[in-house]
Amino acid sequence: MTRAIRNYLVFLRRCLGIAFVGDWRYYLWMGLLTVGCLLGLNAYAKQLAHGLIVTGMSDEVSWGVYIANFTFLVGVAAAAVMMVIPVYIYDNEELHDLVIFGELLAVAAILMCLAFVTVDLGRPDRFWHLIPGIGQLNFPASMLSWDVIVLNGYLLLNLHICGYLLYCRYQGRKPGRWFYIPFVFVAIVWAVSIHTVTAFLYVGLGGRPFWNSSIVGPRFLASAFTAGPAMIILALQIIRRITEYHITDKALLTLRSIVQVSMLINVFLLVNEVFKEFYSGNLHVASSRYLYLGLDGYHALVPWIWTAIVFNLVAMFLLVLPLSRSLRWLNLTCVLCIIGIWIEKGMGLVIPGFIPTPLGQVVEYRPSFNETLVCIGIWAFGLLSYTVFLRMSVPILQGRLARSNEGRGAEVASAAPASSPTRL
Amino acid sequence: MSFPDPQPHPAVPPAADVSRRSFLRTSAVLTAGLAALASSLRPLFEMDDFPSAERFMQKYYKELTPEEMAKVLRRIEGEVEKQYGIRPHVRDLRPMDGVEFVYALNLTRCIGCRKCVHACVQENNQSRDPEIQYIRVLRMPHGSLDIDKAEHNYAPESVPEKGYFYMPVQCQQCRNPPCVKVCPVHATWQETDGITVIDYDWCIGCRYCEAACPYWARHFNFAKPAIPKDRLNPEMAYLGNRPRLQGVMEKCHFCIQRTRAGRYPACLEVCPAGARKFGNILDPNSEVSYILRTKRVFIQLKEELGTSPRFFYYFDV
Amino acid sequence: MDDRPRNGRLNGRIRTAAVLWGLVASFAILAAAFARNPWGRPAPREAIPLVDPAFLSTATNRRSYADLVRAKEDLSDYDCYACHEKGKPPTLRFDEHQNLVIPPEHADIVMGHGEHGRNNNCFNCHNENNLELLQSRDGRVLKFQDSPQLCGSCHGPTYEDWEAGAHGRISGFWNRTLGLIKRQDCVNCHNPHSPTFQGRKPAPGPHPLRPPATPVRAGPVH
Repeated sequence: MTRAIRNYLVFLRRCLGIAFVGDWRYYLWMGLLTVGCLLGLNAYAKQLAHGLIVTGMSDEVSWGVYIANFTFLVGVAAAAVMMVIPVYIYDNEELHDLVIFGELLAVAAILMCLAFVTVDLGRPDRFWHLIPGIGQLNFPASMLSWDVIVLNGYLLLNLHICGYLLYCRYQGRKPGRWFYIPFVFVAIVWAVSIHTVTAFLYVGLGGRPFWNSSIVGPRFLASAFTAGPAMIILALQIIRRITEYHITDKALLTLRSIVQVSMLINVFLLVNEVFKEFYSGNLHVASSRYLYLGLDGYHALVPWIWTAIVFNLVAMFLLVLPLSRSLRWLNLTCVLCIIGIWIEKGMGLVIPGFIPTPLGQVVEYRPSFNETLVCIGIWAFGLLSYTVFLRMSVPILQGRLARSNEGRGAEVASAAPASSPTRL
Repeated sequence: MSFPDPQPHPAVPPAADVSRRSFLRTSAVLTAGLAALASSLRPLFEMDDFPSAERFMQKYYKELTPEEMAKVLRRIEGEVEKQYGIRPHVRDLRPMDGVEFVYALNLTRCIGCRKCVHACVQENNQSRDPEIQYIRVLRMPHGSLDIDKAEHNYAPESVPEKGYFYMPVQCQQCRNPPCVKVCPVHATWQETDGITVIDYDWCIGCRYCEAACPYWARHFNFAKPAIPKDRLNPEMAYLGNRPRLQGVMEKCHFCIQRTRAGRYPACLEVCPAGARKFGNILDPNSEVSYILRTKRVFIQLKEELGTSPRFFYYFDV
Repeated sequence: MDDRPRNGRLNGRIRTAAVLWGLVASFAILAAAFARNPWGRPAPREAIPLVDPAFLSTATNRRSYADLVRAKEDLSDYDCYACHEKGKPPTLRFDEHQNLVIPPEHADIVMGHGEHGRNNNCFNCHNENNLELLQSRDGRVLKFQDSPQLCGSCHGPTYEDWEAGAHGRISGFWNRTLGLIKRQDCVNCHNPHSPTFQGRKPAPGPHPLRPPATPVRAGPVH
């Protein structure tokens, strides 16, 4: 038993060790991200000291970029499942070896979500009030309580699946099916649920007509399954470039078809939404009017949302054209998808729900400098985490970091062959 | 999931021995990094509201025994005295049996003078800067209840103005409160006398209730509340007007420190036109029972949302 | 495969060293910047003036004669028979438009009770035979402190509401078993000679936390 624990601790130590070793590009990337994290941490310390007044939020617009980013990132986390489904249900061979990168992205995304929610709290020192049993978690009435449970559950699920598979690989033994296959299938359903629960956070509020609509849930999933796989397409190419890990173009094209279908559905749902809001002319459209056209002279979000719509439409056209089968165009399309969906799901969903207020007031929102730094810090932290996960998992998957070469030190896994000094 | 066979990479001879320069470099990076980390947390020293261990571990209101509650009340009195120099009297008032509070507001009479807004601020120790006001008076044009047409910032020389009527809005103490439903930690709940209360020492400040409220009745402390010492109201209640902290929600609680002692709320007392009526709907002799029996037209704001407010707007004629 | 020149490894080592020393410098600068703390404090806000305490007063619009009696104040101004003759009803004078002419001794009274000078006769309410009493149209003679009954003799529905507590001001205890109430009379708010409420200056409006840079909306829009 103690030997098993010792082995595991050695494994963890080696993983941690390897995260600090790399070539100059690695140090530069990690250094920049660390600087970002520190800036964010400092900004958050100021927020803790002075209160949320250092953000741009107010009683009129009481959720801002923190929750906007949270909403977007829950979608990214849920989208990891978009790789799992083809592999486990449809036995897709190409993606088989890449699923773990999607799941690691999900872990990093969930960590970012938890961070964004925490920095949004007015009294984070009271987080323990959310722990069932010790605190007073209002389950099942409050959708936020559901979110707490499903997000943490999803994190644990993915940590288990990735950790177990990587550790088995490290030990050079075949993973036991019962230790991961059931969890994978649970994760498929769970992924859909985390994003549905997040959607229901908004949908359940009768006092906010912009959100209180049945299209919000489906739209969330459609946009998540567009942006998530788009990020994975870009991430996989970076992994391929830096580590020479075996990733075929066919895998990328499979992901492309997922993005394609999801974006078509997303745009269709957008058309539905716009028609419903504007055709009947009833009075509840003030929020939509503010978002797309401006209201009473206030129009801060109008350029943003139209940029997002243009990006999404261009991406949609590129996706249906064979042009996007070429990687250069595909990459551009993915970038357009990610930015477009980040805008429309983040700022384009959260802020208009508050404008006008339930009493008819229009007060605009603009994130403060401090708030922006905190966001940058959390994104940097997320990218840092994902990089560390990749830094650990790729050598394990390639067999260069394994039990069999314990004792010869981390330099075995990190130092490159003499002819190629810069590879990980 | 099975992994591909490990791609053949030759085992590499140990890297060049760690030179002193490299060691120096590594420690320099680590030291500089840790210095930056420590320095980044410096603003925390500016925090003047660091929770004491006692406050951090304080139990949920409904779980406090009477002895624990007494201790908590004394602690609050001590904290207020330390900050404002006045020893307040903080009580934990319980709801009375056979009482359900209802508020009726006569739209024929309200002149929009906003005295109720400021009397409430004074009575309930609300922050003056940033400004928190539980009551918001809306100026509506004749003939419309469309809230998008409301004007919040009217400032004429004299009220009432011709062609408008005035509608003060505050927490409606709904029978089916959306804020209570969405609070993730049960920090807000409805008591038996109908008042929706907040345990300020339990609220985590997520502001979900603020998003859920259809009447914009819930307010958040974005900064430490600023109450002028000479305007502090020392008669306080735990669930009512004791000074709140940075980062928690607050809202109208029907002046719980007054109404649970049998008195009228401050907004009613100050209204010069007698537009505000308050009482126990379960008592057939109360003025609110009379009003709900005899007046023909009532408006419950946003009735279609199903919140069933306990706030009734009516017209005399 | 990598076909960089043989001294690629050396280049790599130099670049690594450069990056790492650059990081040391960045962290040091960051540490110093955090210590100096030049950004991120809450922006200074315009001070919000405290409200004038006059807006917090619960006093009524006016004090009635009955209040003055209760407070035992100087009532010499109200001694009708100091000037009028007992037993002789005062004469009312009207101008060519049938408007009442207020004598200079009562110049503080402005008649405005009812539109088109409907209530243009002092003795609709005052008792001409005994100026210290009031009278209603149905013949009742009332004391000044019972003036609500006089008002109610014409304003029936409002009187009913007032009696039930739905009209006018009541202060004190909604729970009558715990304390007394004070119910204001009609004349505590309404001037009987000109009962319509005067307008008054409203208390200051709200000061939002994030005011718009330029106010855009001045009034209702659609």
